[in-house]
Amino acid sequence: MEGVRTVGELLDRLQLNPETVLVVRGTELLTRDARVADEDEIEIRPVVSGG
Amino acid sequence: MRCTKCKGTAQVEVRRHHTAFCGPHFLEWFEAQVDRAVRRERMFTPQDRVLVAVSGGKDSLVLWDVLLRLGYQATGLHLNLGIGGYSQESQEKCEAFARDRGAELLVVDIPAEYGVGVEGLAQLTGRVACSACGLSKRYLFNRVAVDRGFDVVATAHNLDDEAAVLLGNLIAGNVDALVRQTPVLESTHPGLARKVKPLYRIAERETAAYAVLRGIDYVLDECPNSAGARSLLLKEALNLLERDAPGTKQSLYWNFLEKVRPLLRTASEPVALRSCVHCGQPTTAEVCAFCRMTERVARKLQSRVAVSAARREPVAASSGGGGGPA
Repeated sequence: MEGVRTVGELLDRLQLNPETVLVVRGTELLTRDARVADEDEIEIRPVVSGG
Repeated sequence: MRCTKCKGTAQVEVRRHHTAFCGPHFLEWFEAQVDRAVRRERMFTPQDRVLVAVSGGKDSLVLWDVLLRLGYQATGLHLNLGIGGYSQESQEKCEAFARDRGAELLVVDIPAEYGVGVEGLAQLTGRVACSACGLSKRYLFNRVAVDRGFDVVATAHNLDDEAAVLLGNLIAGNVDALVRQTPVLESTHPGLARKVKPLYRIAERETAAYAVLRGIDYVLDECPNSAGARSLLLKEALNLLERDAPGTKQSLYWNFLEKVRPLLRTASEPVALRSCVHCGQPTTAEVCAFCRMTERVARKLQSRVAVSAARREPVAASSGGGGGPA
């Protein structure tokens, strides 16, 4: 994603509330300021459940 | 971002506490939070037998994992709700979890016991699915706990669950439900198990982080009946507040527990409970709501069998009477 350098910017771009997701790279969780690169494979995992 | 404890790279930020942790220190913090809740609220001791309600989702498997690690005697209870592939996968996750840890898991298969799953129970009694499901869960968790002599039932309601339920109850002005909303619900009848919520201090995002860091394999899919659920809307609203004002959910729930609920308790009349004449479980009526529901379902299923047998009879009679085609 062009111009995206951090997890925070990535979530902003995707219009996701950081309270509602985890950002996972491999087995590692990333905080908002963590840097991400174009070649990174990132999982955005929703955390909200309920019914 | 750096870990507050060791200055290593942080993996989880806990904004409401103005802190962040690396993986190992987050796990340590998380388990200490749960243990503190258990001790502070006197939920149970290492000598007590705890029945943990496990769905196969992140919160319940995390709760079970933490209680086992902390040395508590925690047995899992899973209800197979009979909701197609979702229920099958949920049960498999619970069984795999128990197998990997050598933990005891009890399973109640609702379709096998009552003829249909929770969707069928709902359909045949004019309820919505979540209502039949909630009634079945409350009844069966309690019944198994009492019948098998457990000291307490632990459910995995987290801070987000509790804050959302609280907001819903406040909007509806549901005073009786507000009085009952507490991390420890004492038994008020010999047939009523104590109920506790050891994750009430933990945010939902933190239980998910714990599950990922511990490699706990949980069901990622949501129950197909939960789409559009009001609880999700309430959580979304609270998470919007939380994004711009970290600590909102915690303040809402904890202030309620400490400052508001004690005032409500004096305004609420205790409910008189008696034993259901059919199953003996505590109820306010002569026959409990679960027995009324399952007995109605059994009658409808029997009449369906009778109708379908009646429809088959002429065929059987014609072939059995020697008058069939040559």
